[in-house]
This record gives sequence, structure tokens and C-alpha cells, in this order.
Amino acid sequence: MTDDASLDLFAEHDEPHGAEAPAPEVIGPEPKVWSVSQVNRAVRGLLEDSVEPLWVGGEVGSWTRSRAGHCYFTLKDDKAQLRAVMFGRDAQLLPTDPDEGMKVRAFGDLTLYEARGEYQMVVRRLEAEGAEGLWRLAFEKLRVQLEAEGLLAPERKQPLPQYPACVGVVTSPTGAALEDITAVLGRRAPWVRIVLAGTRVQGEGAAVEIASAIDRLAASGLPDVIIVGRGGGSVEDLWAFNEEPVARAIARCQIPVVSAVGHEIDVTIADLVADVRAPTPSAAAETVVPDGAALLHQLRRTPERLGRSLRNVSTRRRTRVEERLNRLVRAVDRKLAPVRQALDRGEGRLERRVGALAELRRAQLSGLAGRLEALSPLATLGRGYSVARTQDGRVLRTVGDFDVGLRFLLRVNDGTVAAESLGAEESPTAGTK
Amino acid sequence: MSKHEESEPTLERRLTRLEEILSRMESDDVALEEALRLFEEGVGHVRAAEQVLSATELRVEELLAGGGTRPIDPDGA
Repeated sequence: MTDDASLDLFAEHDEPHGAEAPAPEVIGPEPKVWSVSQVNRAVRGLLEDSVEPLWVGGEVGSWTRSRAGHCYFTLKDDKAQLRAVMFGRDAQLLPTDPDEGMKVRAFGDLTLYEARGEYQMVVRRLEAEGAEGLWRLAFEKLRVQLEAEGLLAPERKQPLPQYPACVGVVTSPTGAALEDITAVLGRRAPWVRIVLAGTRVQGEGAAVEIASAIDRLAASGLPDVIIVGRGGGSVEDLWAFNEEPVARAIARCQIPVVSAVGHEIDVTIADLVADVRAPTPSAAAETVVPDGAALLHQLRRTPERLGRSLRNVSTRRRTRVEERLNRLVRAVDRKLAPVRQALDRGEGRLERRVGALAELRRAQLSGLAGRLEALSPLATLGRGYSVARTQDGRVLRTVGDFDVGLRFLLRVNDGTVAAESLGAEESPTAGTK
Repeated sequence: MSKHEESEPTLERRLTRLEEILSRMESDDVALEEALRLFEEGVGHVRAAEQVLSATELRVEELLAGGGTRPIDPDGA
């Protein structure tokens, strides 16, 4: 706006309101009297029509937000202040309320609130000084809160599965992110199943939609890991991923979540709460699956590795048995050594003993032979005795055995004599048995 | 309802089990009988995992409101 223009405002714009040139002095006819409403309406028109939308820089003072979501505040510098209002439609796009005294710049229109006759600025956009100031502020507020609740703690991070069978994706069904993710998964791990929970990722209500998509996927029980994200964009485009509903949905998700929002430089609240942060959707896809080709290669070498191990086990076992056997033999040897020595020593004694025994036996035997000799009847016959026997060899011992006329044989020392009994008489004292 | 076919161990299960088997078999105190058993089990997992990995077509599905899924064309909008 130009300062000069404001001086001419009335001059230029009085006609449409049907106003005559005001007379400095009222003389003569009745002066034209304006109603308050008319004046305010006229001034409002002048302001609105003549001042282009503009940026105003200053500090925020007395910020209040009504129940309807309208925000009332002042913009001020050290000398002056300007009333400002931000209606709900615009205010809800604010990442957060600015702090009092915060240096901001506001974009909007000058107007006049007719009911009060106060002029004010209707702010359509409000930015904290410095790029992304207000976003940064909102981010920090939520980050501090989540941190205080422990939701950003490293120990809350869930490990990703190494070989997921099903990958859940929360993103726009028509966005580049989904294409990037499916391209990478198709190349690296074509065996996986992708389940998409489609959602808007920007604009009013996007955060709530994203959160409910995460919840739905978690409730389905299908995915082993979930990628939540979108392609790159401006801070406002990515904002939903900095909002509390998304943060909380990620935090309560029992399935590990990988965040993938925008390009590398944008760190979002979602990134901080997620179990793993990937800089882009493509990177997220790389993170959640192994490289199929490498895995397959490794897998094909596994039977050989198993076989080698098995051979090792069997040779190790054989060696072990041999070793044990050797140890056993050595142990037996050690135990036998004294016995052997004793045997060696004992051998001579034994021989001598056996010899002595044999001698003894021999002596005993010859003694016996003598005694046997003495018992032999032949020796008795040698001394003149004889034995009478019948033809069939029966020994005749008593008088009664010798019937008269009985033929018998007499065995004498050197032969046999045939004889016949002529009669027999018992000797008076003979005791026969 | 068609997803109850998977009483088979998952790929993750098989591959983690394979790791276990390998490290067990490469340990010092494994008995021959056990090693034999592990070898057979391991080869089985390798075969099954290989079969899974050799799939070529990515399945892309959309989660429906009821919790079911419906295939979507990965190239289509």
C-alpha cells in the first residue's frame, strides 16, 4: 500500500455511497447527516476496496481462540497496534497457536468491524518469523509432549521382521509413494504381499484419516511391518505427519512401523515415533525387505554348508572314538604293568614249584607201586600158595566147596594143574567165612 | 477366509530356523544323530524357502472397510 493513497480515500470513493463533499462549515440548508452504520459501511468499503491484501509484520499480543475456532489477537510494534482476527477456516490450518510476543507476519485484508467501528485485519495466513517458524513451534510443542510421555524412547522401538511375508502400506492410493514402494518391493522381494490402506495424506482431516488407516491395518492382523508415508512436498503438505493423531496411532501400533515422509531433509513427528525412519518411501521399501537375489544365492549355498558341517561332525566323532580307544588302551596298559611284572617274577618260582610237585608225585607213585606189588596174588603164589578154582573160574574156599569127584584147576606160580577131589575133612579149629 | 491356508511355517520362521540349525551344527558339542536330523530338517527348509522366494509376481491388495482385502493392479490408479 502507499501512504499517499490513504489521504485520498474519501475523495476517490465517496461517489458510490452517494455522499456529497462535506462542508467544513454548516450554513444554510440542513446538513446531510449520516447514520453511524452508513459511515462505518462507507469506511469499510473504502478500506476493502482500496487496500490490496498485504503482509504486516509485528509481534503477537493477547491471542485468544474462541470456541468456534476463530482467533483474535493484536499485531504490534513498540509504537502501535493493530487488531486482527483469523477465522476458523484459516485458523485451523495453523500448526499451532503462536506464543505471545512471537514475531510473526500476517497476510490478509484490512477491514472495519462495523458493529464496533474498529478497523482490523482479517488474517488469512500467519507465519512465525523465520522459515517454518510456527510449524517448528508446533513440532517442538508436540515433540516435547510426546517425549514427556515416553513415546519417543529408544526402548519402545520394535525391531523389524527380517523376512516379512506381508507389508502394510499407509499412503495415498494414487500417490507416487505407492508406486515407488511397489517398484522396490517387486524388484527386491516379489514374494511379499502388499496390503494398502489408502488414505488422503494432506489437507483438512488427513491426519485423522492416516491414523485410522494405521489402526485398520493393525487390526487386520495381516502385515508383519507397516510403511506409513508419502512423497515429498512443502511443510504444509507434509503437515499431517506432524500431527498428534498420526503420532498416537503409530505409537499404539503393535506391528513395527517404518515412516517414510517426503524427502530426506524433512523430519516429522511420525518419523520420531516410528520404529524406524526411512528418508523416502523407496528407502522404506528397501528397509523392510531383504534383497531377494542375495538371499536366494545364500540359500542355495546352504545345503553345501549343512553337508560340510555334517561331515565335520562325523569325522570329529570318529577321531574322538579313536582317541578314546587309545586312551583306554593306554589306561589298561598302565593298570596291567605291575601285574605283568609280578608275573614275570613269579614265572621262575612257578616252574620250580611245578617241578618239585612233579617230583613229589613221582615219588608217591613209586611208593604206591611197591604197595600194590605186595598186594598182588601172584607174589603169594610165588611163595608156594595156590588157588583152587572150578572150570568156570569160581574160587573154592572151604571144605564144602570140594564135592567128592569134583574136577577143578589149581593155579600155581607158573601155571595151572588139573585135579580131582577124593574127599575132604574139616579141620577142627579152622574158621571159614 | 482364504488366508487360513498358511499352517506352513512362514519364510521368516524357516530362515531363522535355518540360522539356528547352522549354528548348532557348527558348534562343538553336537552329536552325530542330532546333526543328521538337523541336516535333513535344514535341507527341507532350504527347499521350501527357495520355492517361496522364487515367486515372481508381487501381490498388491487393498484393505477393505470390513477388514478383508481385494487385489488391485499395481500399475493402475
